[in-house]
Amino acid sequence: MNRGVAMQDSADEGTGMDVQDAAAIMQQARERAEHELRVSYRLLFATYGLLYLIGYGTVWLSVRGQHPYHGPGSTALVVLTLLAAAAVVVTVVVVGRAFSGVGGWSARQRRVALLSFVTAIVGVYLLEDALFRAGASWSVIGVYGAAAPMLVTGMAYAFSSAFVANWSVFGLGIWLIIVAATSAFAGPVGVWAVGALAAGLAFLLVAAVRPGLRRS
Amino acid sequence: MSQGELDPVIHVPARLRIMVSLATLPEGDDLSFTRLQDLIGLTPGNLITHLRKLEDAGYVRTEKSGSGVTARTGVSLTREGRAALDRYTAVLRQLLDTVEPVSPRPASG
Repeated sequence: MNRGVAMQDSADEGTGMDVQDAAAIMQQARERAEHELRVSYRLLFATYGLLYLIGYGTVWLSVRGQHPYHGPGSTALVVLTLLAAAAVVVTVVVVGRAFSGVGGWSARQRRVALLSFVTAIVGVYLLEDALFRAGASWSVIGVYGAAAPMLVTGMAYAFSSAFVANWSVFGLGIWLIIVAATSAFAGPVGVWAVGALAAGLAFLLVAAVRPGLRRS
Repeated sequence: MSQGELDPVIHVPARLRIMVSLATLPEGDDLSFTRLQDLIGLTPGNLITHLRKLEDAGYVRTEKSGSGVTARTGVSLTREGRAALDRYTAVLRQLLDTVEPVSPRPASG
């Protein structure tokens, strides 16, 4: 449905459009196209901020005080899984809506980037399973399980910032890499708390300061 | 068209909206006919007519791909089209600068 400026649905040329009309039409058309065709990264960053803050925070509440560490409880894992699933759904809807009907070079770039990221995330969890089967302790699994997804996400943002030429995405990516690497030193319990605060709040901060409808 | 004159091919509401909408895409991207139609709010027949005029001027390119249910018509701005829209915008700005702001009418009585 056309929500833009009221315009005759006609192919005739007799418009009598003056310069103010033309300027108004240009502005409205640009705003509408940007609203419809550009990804709302603000919404995506807010979603991932809440995923880390609440998801990792819930896991931390579940594991704090464990001696020895034996992993999060089933309720915390369900909360984390549901939040991750919700984040994936929001991503698919937001990105799918923006890029529906858009083809060309950037569409190919997106497919390659998405395939690379999904492969890396699947690889992270396969590797976790392999570590477990190889006899890694619960503590090692805990540190890896919290830090590795942040590392992969940070690398994805840092690399993709080269394509979209955006410093906030680059900064967020580098920050996530630093958080992933340093939070691991906090041990299997502390890594969840550091991830929840440092990654979650960083996402929310970038969401708050970033214009909502910019592609780059 | 002389310098300082608005391009008559673009200076039509529907075509102006088509050009501006396509210009928000990065170079090398295109928009499907159906998504463009949804964005502009024209009937298919009218959209085709306007696109044909823009295509004749060398401002847009339409490309068909696939067949059957996968058939897709992609519409994109050409380099000439982007340059023409830039010129149109510059001329429009000049004209807007020369237009006197409308002062409120004095109250009668």
